[in-house]
Amino acid sequence: MEPAEVEFLAEKELVTIVPNFSLDRIHLIGGDLGPFNPGLPVEVPVWLAINLKQRQKCRLIPPEWMDVGKLEEIRDQERKEDTFTPMPSPYYMELTKLLLNYASDNIPRADEIRTLVKDTWDTRMAKLRLSADSFVRQQEAHAKLDNLTLMEINSTGTFLTQALDHMYKLRTNLQPGEGSHSQEF
Amino acid sequence: MSRQVGAKMPSKQKPMRYGHTEGHTDVCFDDTGSCIVTCGSDGDVRIWENLDDDDPKSINVGEKAYSCALKNGKLITAVSNNTVQIHTFPEGAPDGILTRFTMPVNHVTFSPDGTKVAAGSSDFMIKVVEVTDSSKQKTFRGHDAPVLSLSFDPKDVYLASASCDGSVRVWNIADQTCTTSWLLLQKCNDVINAKSICRLAWQPGTGKLLAVPVDKVVELFRRETWDSQFDLSDASITQPLNVVVWSPCGQFLAAGSVDGNVVVWNVETQQCIERMKHEKKYSICGLAWHPKYKQIAYTDNEGNLGLLENIGDVEKPNDKVASAVAKDYNDLFDGDDDDYLNGDVIEPPSSPKTGDHEDDADDLMQPPGHVRRAVIDDDDDNSLDIGLIKASSSLLEKEDDGEDQTGGFSALPPSSTQRPFYDGPMPTPRQKPFQSGSTPVHLMHRFMVWNSVGIIRCYNDEQDNAIDIEFHDTSVHHATHLPNSLGHTMADLSTEAILLACESTEELASKLHCIHFGSWDANKEWTVDVPKDEEIEAICLGQGWAACATSALLVRVFTVGGVQKEIFSLPGPVVSMAGHGEQLMIVYHRGTGFDGDQCLGVQLMELGMKKRQVLHGDPLSLTRKSYLVWVGFSAEGTPCYVDSEGIVQMLNRGLGNTWIPVCNTREHCKGKYDHYWVVGIHENPQQLRCIPCKGARFPPTLPRPAVAILPFKLPYCQVETEKGQMEEQYWRSVLFHSHLDYLSKNGYEFDENAKNQAVKEQQELLMKLFALSCKLERESRCVELAELMTHSVLNLAIKYASRSRRLNLAQLLSEVAVEKASELAAAQEDEEEEEDFQKRSSAGSSSSATKWGQLPGRNVQQDQEVEDDEEETDACEEAEETPEVHKEKEPNGFSKGVTSAEVNTPKPALVASSSRGRVNPFKVSSSKKEPVVPSGNVLDNMTKYSKKTSSSASRAADKQNPPVIKPLTPKPKTKQASAASFFQPRTPATNPGEKTVEEREEKAGNESQEVKVTAQENTENRRPKTGFQMWLEENRANILTDNPDLNEAEVIKEGMSRFRMLTSEERMVWTEKARGGRVSDSAEDKKEEASPS
Repeated sequence: MEPAEVEFLAEKELVTIVPNFSLDRIHLIGGDLGPFNPGLPVEVPVWLAINLKQRQKCRLIPPEWMDVGKLEEIRDQERKEDTFTPMPSPYYMELTKLLLNYASDNIPRADEIRTLVKDTWDTRMAKLRLSADSFVRQQEAHAKLDNLTLMEINSTGTFLTQALDHMYKLRTNLQPGEGSHSQEF
Repeated sequence: MSRQVGAKMPSKQKPMRYGHTEGHTDVCFDDTGSCIVTCGSDGDVRIWENLDDDDPKSINVGEKAYSCALKNGKLITAVSNNTVQIHTFPEGAPDGILTRFTMPVNHVTFSPDGTKVAAGSSDFMIKVVEVTDSSKQKTFRGHDAPVLSLSFDPKDVYLASASCDGSVRVWNIADQTCTTSWLLLQKCNDVINAKSICRLAWQPGTGKLLAVPVDKVVELFRRETWDSQFDLSDASITQPLNVVVWSPCGQFLAAGSVDGNVVVWNVETQQCIERMKHEKKYSICGLAWHPKYKQIAYTDNEGNLGLLENIGDVEKPNDKVASAVAKDYNDLFDGDDDDYLNGDVIEPPSSPKTGDHEDDADDLMQPPGHVRRAVIDDDDDNSLDIGLIKASSSLLEKEDDGEDQTGGFSALPPSSTQRPFYDGPMPTPRQKPFQSGSTPVHLMHRFMVWNSVGIIRCYNDEQDNAIDIEFHDTSVHHATHLPNSLGHTMADLSTEAILLACESTEELASKLHCIHFGSWDANKEWTVDVPKDEEIEAICLGQGWAACATSALLVRVFTVGGVQKEIFSLPGPVVSMAGHGEQLMIVYHRGTGFDGDQCLGVQLMELGMKKRQVLHGDPLSLTRKSYLVWVGFSAEGTPCYVDSEGIVQMLNRGLGNTWIPVCNTREHCKGKYDHYWVVGIHENPQQLRCIPCKGARFPPTLPRPAVAILPFKLPYCQVETEKGQMEEQYWRSVLFHSHLDYLSKNGYEFDENAKNQAVKEQQELLMKLFALSCKLERESRCVELAELMTHSVLNLAIKYASRSRRLNLAQLLSEVAVEKASELAAAQEDEEEEEDFQKRSSAGSSSSATKWGQLPGRNVQQDQEVEDDEEETDACEEAEETPEVHKEKEPNGFSKGVTSAEVNTPKPALVASSSRGRVNPFKVSSSKKEPVVPSGNVLDNMTKYSKKTSSSASRAADKQNPPVIKPLTPKPKTKQASAASFFQPRTPATNPGEKTVEEREEKAGNESQEVKVTAQENTENRRPKTGFQMWLEENRANILTDNPDLNEAEVIKEGMSRFRMLTSEERMVWTEKARGGRVSDSAEDKKEEASPS
C-alpha cells in the first residue's frame, strides 16, 4: 500500500473536537456523527476533524497519548527493548502528522511531540531494518514481528518481498545451473 | 495602636515587623550597635537602621541564608550552597568564600577577637577558619549528626558545640580534641526535626560559664570543672528553649523559646527580670543583645523582626510581667476594639487561627483586599481550605456588617482577660457575592464567566489588563478582545449581550457596562453608573433584560438596550443571581448561619409580560457546612444550584417548587481533592456539563480545560437493585421532562416529540416495574404502579396480568383503568350515560371474583350462549384463543403457579391503542400460536401486536363462529358503580343449585353486555341494546310510577334489582329479544372490525 492509502485508513480514527457550531446528528454511510453542540466535546473521525479545523469550526483536543510525558516514556521504552513495543495508536505516525499539520495550535508543545514521535519512528525503523537484515542473512523461512503498525509494514513490505523474490530467483537459477553443469560432466 | 507606652512602662516591646519571608532567620548587631543585621530564608541580609526603618539595605547573599555573624566590617553568612561567605560591611560587596562544606552550614560565629570564624555544618563537621587566610582551617570531627550551633570561648581556648546527636561538646581549639561532652539534648536526624536549635553561649569576659538551653531550662556549666553550676528556669517557659544569649556585660542572660517567649534572668541572683511573649507565638530563632544598650533584637522563624528595649530597669519582675501582659491587650484593643471583637467572634472554630487572638491585630488594620490576597495566595494551587477562606472572609466581612454584630456582642460581659466569652454555636461568616462560573477575583488569569453561551476570561498582569470573550457557537458572535481599563470584575454573557460590572474606585462609581451585540442599531454599548456608595455585587442577563444587585440591597433591572426598569429591595445581601429567558433568580443571605452553615434564601421571579414571583425568598437547602458555588438555570430554564459539597439541586416544579438533588459531583471524583466545576446543566439530553479539576475547586485558564459530561442520578434508595434503578430512572425522567409542562404552560414553543418520547420512556419503565412486581408477587404494588400509568399502558398491564394468570390483579387493574377512563371522559357526560347504565347493570348483576372458580362443565353452555356475541366482537382474539379454551377453563389453569417464563413474556397484545378505548381487557388472547418469546421490554411487542390483530382477524373471519369463551366477569366501571353494586341487594337465592344457574346466566348476559360495550365502541354510533335495557325501557314507566322521585341513576338501580327478580327464563327472553334485533347487523360488524382501522 502507498503511504497515502494508509493515511486514508488512518483518517477513520476517532478524535475529540470541541465544535463551535450547532448541528444535529448527521447520518452518513459510515455511521452517524454528532450531534454537535457548541462547546461540548464530541468524537469525530480525523478526516472530519481536519476539515472542520481548516474551516475554523472546531478546536481539537489531542488524543490522550499525544503528550510529551507519555511520548517520552514510549520512546525510552522503545529504545530500551530489542523488540517492538506496542504503540499508543495503530496510526500513531499518521495521526501525529495529520493533527500536527492542521491543528498544531490546539496541541501543546507540538514541536516536541513531533520530534518525539519521529524519534520513536526512527528507532522502530532501525529495528525493522535490522531484523530484515538478519532475516535475510540467516536465510530464515519465516519471522514474526509483533506490534508493527500498518505504515511501518508498508514502508518495507513491498521492497522486502520483492527483494526476497529476486533472491529466491537468483538462488533457484544458481542451483539448476549447477545441476546442468554436472550433467554436462 | 502600637505606640501607646507610658513612661512608667519600663520595658518596651515594639510590635514585630516583617523582616524576611517565612523561614528561619538570624539576627545580630553591628559592633557599635548602630544597626541591626538580619538574614533570612529569602537569601537576603538586611541592615536596619532601627526597627522603624522601612527601607533597610538588602544584600543578596544566596538562595537561603542560615546564619550570619558580623565583626570588624566583615559579614559572614552561611548560605544554602554549603559555603560560608564573606561580605564587606556595610557595603555588602562579596569578599570571597571562606570555606565550603558538603552540607548546609547551620551556624557561624566569630571568635571574640574577630580573627577566626567557626562554622558547623549538617555534614557533622565543625571548621574554624582564619578570616584573613581561609587556608588556615581547623576541622573538628566527632559529632555524629548535624551540628546545630557553636560558641567561642572568650578566652579563645575552647569551642562549644551542640549537635543533633544529642551531645554538647567542648573542644580544645588548639589541638582539636574534645575536652568534654554531655548528652543533654534529644537526638534527631536532621536540623529541621530538632526540637530546638540550641544556640548555646559562653559568658562574655571571663568565660566562666557556658549557658546551654536544655529543654525548658538553661543549664550553666562551669569552665574547667565542666560540671553543671545551676539551672535557670521560669514558670512562663512551657516549651523548649531555642536560643540563649548573654548581655555584653555578662550579667544577664536572655533565652528565647520555640513558642515565642523571651525571658531574661539576672545570672547573679538567678532571678527572672523580664518576660516577653511573642505576638503570634512563633518560634524565636535569633536573639542578639545590643552591644551598649539594654535592648534585645529577636527574630522568629516566620521572618519577623522585633526589638525589646529597656530591659531590667525595674527591680520587680512580677509587676513587669503583669504590665507586659496588659500592654499586650491594650495594643490589641486600643482604638479598634470593635474590629478585634468582631474578628474574634466570627472566626469559625475550624479555623486554624482560632485562639490565636494576638495574630489578627495587624491584619485587622490592613485593607480587606490585601488581607484576602495574602491569605489566598498561600494556596495558589487553589486547593482551598475552607477554614482559611472563612477566616479571611471574616476579616472582610467585619467592615461591611461589623456595626450591628458588634452591637450584639459587645454587650457580653467581659471575662477576666477582657476576651469576649461566648460558648455557643459560632456564626458562620457570610459567603461573599460571586458570579456563577467564575474563578476567584484575585487570580491574574481567571474566568469571569463560563456558561452555555461562551467564556469570558480576564487577564490582569503587568503588561495587560484585558478581557477575552469567546463564544462556544461562533455563529452567535465572533470572539472579542476588550481592554479592561475600568477593572471589571463581574461578567455575564448571553446570546444577545455581554454584561460587565466593576467595583467603585476612589474617583469612579461602580459601573454596569453592557455590550448589546445583538442590537440592530450601530450603538451597541451602554454604561450606567450606580449611585455613589452603592456597589454592584452581582449581575445577570436574561432575554431582553439585564439586572444587577447592589450593596444597597437593591436589585435594578434594565432592558438590554439600557432602559432602567424595575427596582426592588432584597431582604438581605446578595450572594449570586442568574437569569434565563424571563426568569430571574436571586440568592441572598436570609440571616446568619451558624457552625459553618450558610443561611441563604432564594427568590425566583418572572419578568415577562405577567410579572410574578414564583419563589418568595424560600430557604435554600445546602449541604451542612457548605456554601453556594453555582447558581443558574438549566438550558431548558429550570433553576438549579450547586453547593461546595458538589450537590446539584434542581427545582422540582411538579412538587410545589421544591428542590431535589439531581447529582453529587463528588461521587464522580477520583481523588479527595478533586472537584467538578459546573458550567452548565441540560435537561434534554440529561447532561451536567462541568470541568474536572484535579486537586482544585476551579480550573486554570491554561491549558484550556475540556468539558466533561456527568450523568444525573437522583438519590433513590437501593439503586443497585433492578427496582430501585427503574424507580430512579422513572422519577428522573419525570423530573427532567417537567420543564416541558412549564414551557407549555407559559406559552413557549417546545418539542412535542420530546414530550411523547418522554411519556413513552416513562411508561416503558412503569411497565417494566410492573412486570417486576408481578414476578415478585407484589400485587398491591402492581396496582399502585398502575395508578401512574396512562390508559393505554394500563391496558397492557391488564393483559400482562391476565396472561400471567393473576386474574385477581387483572380485575383490580381493570377497575383502575375504568376509573381513569371515567376521569378522562368526565367531560362527555351525555355520551357516557348509556354506558354507565350498562356498567351499572352489569355491576349489579355480577359478583366479580367469585366467578373464577366456576366449574369446567360450564364451558359448553357458555360457549353456546355467547357464540353469537363473539361474532360481533373482536374476532381475532377469539380465534387465537380457540385452541386454548378448554385448557384455560380447567381449574388448575387459574392457579397462581405461573412460571417465570410466562412472566417474562408479557405478550402485551396491545388492545391498548387509546382509540379503542375500553376494550374488555380480560379477553384471553394468549395462545399457543404466539410463541413465548422472552422479552424484557413489553412495549417491543406493540407494533407486532397490531399486525397480528389484522391477520388473525381475517383468520377468524374464515373460521366462522369459533367457539369462544369469555371467562371474565365485567367489573364496575366507576367507583360509584361499584359502590352501587356493593349495596345492591343480592338476588335472593332459594337454593344453591338455582343460584348457580342464575349466576351462570347472569354471567352470560353480562358477558354479552360487555361484549356489546366493546362492539359499541368499535362501531361508534351503533348502540345495540341488551336484554336488560330493553326490559328497562318497557318497565321504566312502572318504576317511575312506583317511585316518582327517582333520578336516572336510581331508576337504573331500581330497574336492575327488579330485573333480577325475574326468573331466568324471562330474562332469557329479553336477552334473545335484544339479540334478535341486532342479528342483521352482526355480520357487517364483524367485517368492519376485521379490516384494519
